[in-house]
Amino acid sequence: MDRMKILLVDDEHEFVTTLAERLELRNMNVSIATDGEAALGFVENDPPQIVVLDVMMPGLSGLEVLEKIKAMDSKIQVILLTGHGATKDGIRGMQLGAFDYLIKPIDIDELIEKLNEAIKSMA
Amino acid sequence: MNHLTRKEVAFFGRITAGITHEIKNVLAIIQESSGLMEDILGVTEDGTFPHKDKFIKSLNRIHRQIQRGIDITSSLNRFAHNPDHCPASLDLNEITDQMVLLASRFARLKNVVLESNPSDPPLIIESDPVSLEMALFESIEILLNITDSGGKITLSPRKIQDTCVMGVGYDNTVLPEEDFLSKISSTERWASLQEIMTRLGGAVKVFNLAPEILLHFPESIDV
Repeated sequence: MDRMKILLVDDEHEFVTTLAERLELRNMNVSIATDGEAALGFVENDPPQIVVLDVMMPGLSGLEVLEKIKAMDSKIQVILLTGHGATKDGIRGMQLGAFDYLIKPIDIDELIEKLNEAIKSMA
Repeated sequence: MNHLTRKEVAFFGRITAGITHEIKNVLAIIQESSGLMEDILGVTEDGTFPHKDKFIKSLNRIHRQIQRGIDITSSLNRFAHNPDHCPASLDLNEITDQMVLLASRFARLKNVVLESNPSDPPLIIESDPVSLEMALFESIEILLNITDSGGKITLSPRKIQDTCVMGVGYDNTVLPEEDFLSKISSTERWASLQEIMTRLGGAVKVFNLAPEILLHFPESIDV
């Protein structure tokens, strides 16, 4: 079976690098970006199957990045990460085409479940 | 000190809400780092790491404290957003749970247990969230001030004859009935509580037998 190809996007460098290590231990192919511009560069040059995207980032916001990803390749699934009390961002994101959203700090098992659901939806 | 204006309260709220997001980011990094350690231990063959059990025990402790931190910062975040809208639609059950979490440290310093006894179904009112939570906190403080140590304070939102009420009950050594009212009305915070409840268009009553402070809230207020 092909390894799931994921792009993690969050401006908290230590958060994304650690989460990437955890997903790699589960045999996933993970890239990381710490801002929206870098994330869009990945999508253009080495498109992932799924993007896990923080909503609150300096520069381009997660929702802006989501819109651009969907315009570039609508098949890429996006899972948003929102803060507590920011569920309206998650709902807005789903209206813009996000697959789902999770509230930070996330539970790894819940994230993996969402990633599997997102992959299945692409089949 | 002058009374804080609404703008100043909103400023405090905005800064606090921003900081809670930062704390959550810190918790998220600790959570992933400890989770990674757990993952690595999970793929370590038995017998190759003699302190594995102690590490797992310690990691479980870290996870429990992370969850505690998440619960506290989530409550603080909601609290900090209170000034955003006034009046706001509020569920007294949710406010109760939030207040129990935020005020538990004040109770713990007096060895008092603070707990909620939520009502079913939700109790929705239109009110000023900042003043309403101040009224709850003042009630808790009044009860903490009259106890030396120990006992239990229970917040019980409920309906009494179609009126939404918050009961703040005190369970300690039995006080003579007349003592409860005289004790709480002699505290400095009693006048403050009455003033807040007047501003909210409600009323504060004391039920000696329980003993309990009863806060009566109108369904909606004009601001």
